[in-house]
Amino acid sequence: MNVDRRRFLGSAAGMAATAGVAADWLWPRHSVSYRRPRSFVAILNAAEYSEKIETLLMDGLRLFRLNLLGKAILLKPNMVEDLPGPVNTNANIIGAAARCFLRLGAARIAIGEGPGHQRDTELVVQAADLKPHLADRHIEFVDLNRDELVRVKLRANYSGLGELWLPRSVLDSDFVVSMPKVKTHHWAGVTLSLKNMFGIVPGMKYGWPKNLLHWHGIHESILDICATVPIHFVIADGITAMEGNGPLQGTARELRKIVLADDPVAADATCARLMGFDPLRVQHLSEGGRFLGNLRADRITMLAERAEVPICPFAVLPDFHYLLARADM
Amino acid sequence: MRAARRRRRFGNSSNVPDQCSVLLRNLATRQLPSGGWSYFESPQASLEATCLAALVLASATEGGTGSVMRLLLKWQFPDGSWPAFQGDSEGSWTTGLALSTLIAMNGPADSGARSLSWLLEERGKEGHWLWRWKFKTTDHSVRFDPDRFGWPWTSGSASWVIPTVFSVIALKQFTACNRRERAEKRIRLGVGMLLDRVCLGGGWNAGNSVVYGVPLPAHVEATAIALLALQDEKRTPAIQASLGWLKQRSSSIESVESLAWCILSLFVYQEPVEHLKARLATLIGDGHDIRNNATLATAILALKCGEMIHPFEVLR
Repeated sequence: MNVDRRRFLGSAAGMAATAGVAADWLWPRHSVSYRRPRSFVAILNAAEYSEKIETLLMDGLRLFRLNLLGKAILLKPNMVEDLPGPVNTNANIIGAAARCFLRLGAARIAIGEGPGHQRDTELVVQAADLKPHLADRHIEFVDLNRDELVRVKLRANYSGLGELWLPRSVLDSDFVVSMPKVKTHHWAGVTLSLKNMFGIVPGMKYGWPKNLLHWHGIHESILDICATVPIHFVIADGITAMEGNGPLQGTARELRKIVLADDPVAADATCARLMGFDPLRVQHLSEGGRFLGNLRADRITMLAERAEVPICPFAVLPDFHYLLARADM
Repeated sequence: MRAARRRRRFGNSSNVPDQCSVLLRNLATRQLPSGGWSYFESPQASLEATCLAALVLASATEGGTGSVMRLLLKWQFPDGSWPAFQGDSEGSWTTGLALSTLIAMNGPADSGARSLSWLLEERGKEGHWLWRWKFKTTDHSVRFDPDRFGWPWTSGSASWVIPTVFSVIALKQFTACNRRERAEKRIRLGVGMLLDRVCLGGGWNAGNSVVYGVPLPAHVEATAIALLALQDEKRTPAIQASLGWLKQRSSSIESVESLAWCILSLFVYQEPVEHLKARLATLIGDGHDIRNNATLATAILALKCGEMIHPFEVLR
């Protein structure tokens, strides 16, 4: 039998593709899917962190008709360090969100964070000026680095970690709200609502930073964590965002947006578009679009403003130039 | 209002002995039925909180620490390591801290010896030749010398400052009277790693001083703890700069945990700490508002600095 080289290569490629599909079918990498037919996103314009934010957020949240009556809500902001600049989710947005959720019927609000670099959580809370927002007895702060831990089998297997110890306060919540700061990230490209969930991984077990996750792959670990602890809602702080060498040493970028969404992949894809990036080129987003939520714009209903691509995309380190969206997108 | 009143009552340094008694009682009431302490109100004991509380008890009571010592020995794994918290099944970064605690409580030598051998074996993942080669040849995003490795938070990850500090202190304390070559070499390697990771203006953060060519800032708590491991080392310019940085930052720090570690650290360098102790006393009051038991215990140790054997002091 004569087999020419082109036919041989074609057959080999076909077999490899078939094997890949079969492997995915035989050994699926995730045991859950949170994708729905449609996801909803609202981009709110906000020029500054003023007292008006609470009204703006309340109006935005009402667009989603959330049923929060009696629920225990975990707000997971991004609070990494006691540094100046747009490093952390702004405390005015966190406080406003907590009060809005209480007004919408939530029973109690936990603001939970396990800072990834700074071990002294009190210092981070002080520097972020969060304390005034904790005056309401229904709003408490939980140090996720030092909470009671429960061993959890991961619902996806990208990292090979298999299981993680996770905080009980997170696992016992009825409704998890990821509240990222819109930033570039020198290891992951972007840090948005999905990457923000690194902060639920406890430092007392995995350290400061949570370096084990880096060794097992940042994108892979993000997928495993978000498959295991689903994000129910996103409030992304993009009023003053960060570009360049994020998440700590970048420069401020006035984006003047708050992004709300009932789907973390749709939220992050929208934020990426607002940053001038192609969401498909963010590894954890493109893979997350298969089971964590909707990535494609035609499956996302915009409830407020449209996601305008910026004239000048966010600055990135040279290693991440591939993230930039093509001009015709 | 009530919190402010509690703080005012203890704002005077002459009340410190009274205050320490109140704080001790407060800490004692938070002990779990298992005998340990959790960080916050959970029923799951944390090794760090338990060790720091045990060090407080060891400094305060004569022979009243037997139950805590028995607990620590019960939690020790056969390989000599300790978990990070009750219920975990892996050795962790707390092993150095637990060994220092055992030494302070005159714990059994065989337990210490097992811990020593675990510490001598454990290393950051970059200690493996393959990873060292990778970091030397292809991966230069973080500036560090992979030949100088310390200890990881958890097996399978790289070396970081805090686990290395507690391991170095424990090794120095445990081998103070009889240090073999292997322990000396491992201590030198750990000290070398700490000096390699120092931030450009002095001080330490978690362990990355320069990333993508940009210097990262130091942290107060990490700097204070790192200096404890270097207290008996030659005062190199890096140590001097870090000490200067810490002294300068300690004057404005308002966080109990960081301030307490500042006091414990500056004290072993014979720097004046009375003004810092007075500020700490004002900040913590009767300790009611300090929910983190590890922080409360560290604060008590700091307030009692100079009246007890310093738990992290290394004999020169």
